[in-house]
Amino acid sequence: MTRFMRWSTCTALLMLLCSGASAAFDLAAIQKGAHVAVEVCNGCHSLKYLKYGDLLKIGMTKSEIDLMRNDKKMSEPLIAQLAPENALAMFGTVPPDLSLMASAREGGAHYIQEMLTGFYVDSAGNINNHAFPGIKMPDILGIAQADPASRKEIESKARNVSEFLDWAADPHAETRQRIGYGVLLYVAVLTLLFYLLKNKIWTRIARAQHVL
Amino acid sequence: MKNIVGWIDARFPFSAFIKHELTDYPTPRNLSYWWGFGFLAGFVLVIQLVTGIFLAMHYKADSNLAFDSIQHIMREVNYGWLIRYLHSTGASAFFVVIYTHMARTLYYGSYRRPRELLWWTGQLLLLLMMATAFMGYLLPWGQMSYWGATVITNLFSATPFIGDQVVIWLRGGFSVDDPTLTRFFALHYLFPFLISGAVIIHLVALHTVRSSNPSGVNLADRDNIPFHPYYTIKDLFGLGIFLLAYFAIVFFKPDLFIDVSNNIPANPMQTPAEIVPEWYFLPFYAILRSVPNLVGGVVAMALSVIIFAAMPYLDRSRITGGAKYRPVYRALFYVFIVDIFVLGYVGAHPPESLLKLVGEVATGLYFAIFLLLPFVSRWEENKLLKECTLPPAVQEMARNEIRGSHD
Amino acid sequence: MCTHKLNDVDGPRRDFLGSLTAAVAGAGAIAASVPFVSSMNPSSDVLDKATVEIDIARIGIGQEKTVAWQGKPVFVVHRTAEEIAAMESSNGGKDPEADQNRVQHPEWLVVIGICTHLGCVPNKTAQGWLCPCHGSIYDNSGRILSGPAPKNLILPPYHFVSNDKIMIGKAS
Repeated sequence: MTRFMRWSTCTALLMLLCSGASAAFDLAAIQKGAHVAVEVCNGCHSLKYLKYGDLLKIGMTKSEIDLMRNDKKMSEPLIAQLAPENALAMFGTVPPDLSLMASAREGGAHYIQEMLTGFYVDSAGNINNHAFPGIKMPDILGIAQADPASRKEIESKARNVSEFLDWAADPHAETRQRIGYGVLLYVAVLTLLFYLLKNKIWTRIARAQHVL
Repeated sequence: MKNIVGWIDARFPFSAFIKHELTDYPTPRNLSYWWGFGFLAGFVLVIQLVTGIFLAMHYKADSNLAFDSIQHIMREVNYGWLIRYLHSTGASAFFVVIYTHMARTLYYGSYRRPRELLWWTGQLLLLLMMATAFMGYLLPWGQMSYWGATVITNLFSATPFIGDQVVIWLRGGFSVDDPTLTRFFALHYLFPFLISGAVIIHLVALHTVRSSNPSGVNLADRDNIPFHPYYTIKDLFGLGIFLLAYFAIVFFKPDLFIDVSNNIPANPMQTPAEIVPEWYFLPFYAILRSVPNLVGGVVAMALSVIIFAAMPYLDRSRITGGAKYRPVYRALFYVFIVDIFVLGYVGAHPPESLLKLVGEVATGLYFAIFLLLPFVSRWEENKLLKECTLPPAVQEMARNEIRGSHD
Repeated sequence: MCTHKLNDVDGPRRDFLGSLTAAVAGAGAIAASVPFVSSMNPSSDVLDKATVEIDIARIGIGQEKTVAWQGKPVFVVHRTAEEIAAMESSNGGKDPEADQNRVQHPEWLVVIGICTHLGCVPNKTAQGWLCPCHGSIYDNSGRILSGPAPKNLILPPYHFVSNDKIMIGKAS
C-alpha cells in the first residue's frame, strides 16, 4: 500500500513539474508579438495592467518603446485608443482587456492563436470564426481572405502575439520557475537530512526493545 | 542561558510545560505517517496566516479596487506573486491535509470514546475553515468569486419565514456588492484567529485523552515513548515530503486551483457558462443539487457536514479501534471514500440526465452509510466474536467492554 | 519509567547530523523571510514615482512653481538677476552656506518646501519664504534667517535633463 502511494505521488509530482516547467521563453517571438499587440491590438483592446516601461523587461530598448508610446509616459498603462462608447457603437460590445486574456480562457495562449487564425468566409459570404463562432471582432490579421504565402506570415504573427500575451498575463513566470528549481532542491536536501536523522533517532527504540 | 530559563521558570511554567507536553509526553510507539497530518494542518495554518497578513498590506477590499489590487500584488509588489500563490495553493493544501486527517480518524476509529470531544472540536475547526475559505474566495472579485458568493448566499433564503431578509442581511444589500466584500474581508481576517484558538482547545483535548494508534489498543503511559524527539523528527520528515508537493505546485503549476473565469473581473450582468465551487466544496455542492427542493437541498448539504459529529454514537461496535480488525467497517469506509470522489465529479459538472442520477444515487449512498452503521457495526461485532478470528487481546478487551456496558 | 533511557544523548555522530539538519533548516527559515520583508519595500509603481520630470520652460523669470515629489512639495524658483546678486553677497543666517553651493545654475533654485523646524510648508514672500506656523523666515536661497528653524531648506537631488527639463530625485 505505502509503496504504491510513494510511487504514485512521485510520478504525479514529476508530471506536474514537467507540465508547468515546459514553458519556453522565446524572447524574440515575445518582442515581435509586443509590436503587433501595441501597434495593432492596442487600437481597440486595452492592456491596462501593462505599462510601457514593462516592455523593457522583455528586452526591448527604450528607443523602441519611445517609438510606440507617442506622448504617453513610460509609467502609463496601455489603454486602448478606441473609447468604450465608440466601440459599443461600432461593434455592439466593448473589446475585452487583454492583460489577462491568456489565463482567462480555457486553452490560454493556444486558444488565442487558434482564434486569431480561425477566421474564415462562411457559406453566406460573412466572416466567422472556428474557435469563437459569432465573434464580433473583425478579422484583424486578415487570414480569412489571405493567399497561401501571406497565411504563413499571419500564422507566425498570431503565434508571436499569443506568446506576448502569455508573458503579459504572467510576467514573472521565468523568475518563478528559476526560484522553484532552487527551492525544490533545497527542500529535497532538507527532507533527506530529516529522513536520516529520523532513522538515527528511532534506532534507539529498536535497541531499547532488544534490551527489554 | 540556563539562568534566563531558570528566571522565567520561577515566574511562568515554561520548562514544566515543555516537559509535560513535549519531552515527557507519552505517545504510542506505533503511530504511522497518517498521524502526522495534524501537525501539517497547524503548519499550513501558519503559512496562511503569515501570507494572508502580508497580502492584506496591499489588498484593497473595495469592489472597484479589489481586482486591480490583486494585479498590483501580482505584478508590482516585490515577491507579491509568490505570496499570492503561497496563499491560494495553501488554501487547497489546507483542505487536502484536513480531509486526510479526518479520513485517518474515521478509518482508525479515533473519534470513539473517550475522544468524542476531540472529534467535535475538530468538526468546529472544519466549519470555521469552510467559512473562512468561502469568504476568502470572494476577495479577488473575479467572475467565479462573485457568482459563487451569489449562489451560496442565495441558499440562506431557505431559512423559514425570514429567508429573504436573512439573505439581504448577510449581503448588506440586495445583491453581492461592495458591503458584502468589505464584511467578508473583515471576517476572513478574523476567522483564522478563531481557528487558532480552537486549535489550542483541540490540542488540550488531545493531550487529555492522548493519541489513538493504528492497533486501536491503548497502552498505559509507561509503555509509550516521548513525543520529543521521536515524533518531532518524524513530523518534520513528513513536512519535508509535504513541502515538496506544495512548492512543486506553487512554483510550477500555481494556476491549478485558480479557475480561468476568476481572471475576469466580476460582472453582475453576466454569469459564466459554468459555475463551479472550489474543489474542496464539490461533494457538498453535489449533495445540494441532488435534492430537487431548495430547502431540502440546503438541509441535506448541512446534514452531510454535521452528520460526522454523530460518529461516536453511530458506531456501536465495542471492538477496539477502527477498521483494523473489522473488515466490514473497512469496506464501508472505502465505499464512502469512493462515493465522495464520485460526488466530487458530479459537483464539478452541469447536472445532465445521467450525471444527475449518479449524483442522486451517490447522495443516497452517502447518508445510507452513516444510517446503516449502527446496525452493520453491531452485526459485524457479533459475527466476529462468534467466529473468534480477532487477536486474543482484542477479544478480551471487547468482551470486557460488553460486560461493563451491561451495568 | 523507560522514557529517560530513550532520551539519552547518543554519540558525536548523531550530534553532527542533528546540528547539520538544524543549520540547514535555520538557513531555509531565514531565506524564507526574505520575500516577506522585501514585499514591504516600495513596489515598482511607487519606485516609478521616485523621480519626477519638470518642464521649466513655462516658469518665467521671477516666478516659482511648487511640484510634488515623493509626496513632498518642492519649490522651483526662476530667480531674477537682482535676487541672485543679493543671495551671492551673503552666506545666510544661523546655518551659513554660500549660495553657489545651493544651486547648479544660479537662476534656478530647487528646494524642498518643508520648514526644517516642525514640517509646515512656508509661503512665498518677496524676500524668500515665511513659515506661517512659528514665523521662520528664509531668504531667496532657502537659507534660514530668523525664527525657530535650525537649518536651511533642504536640497533634493536633481539634475538638468536638458535646458527645459529638470529631473528631481536623481543627482545625475
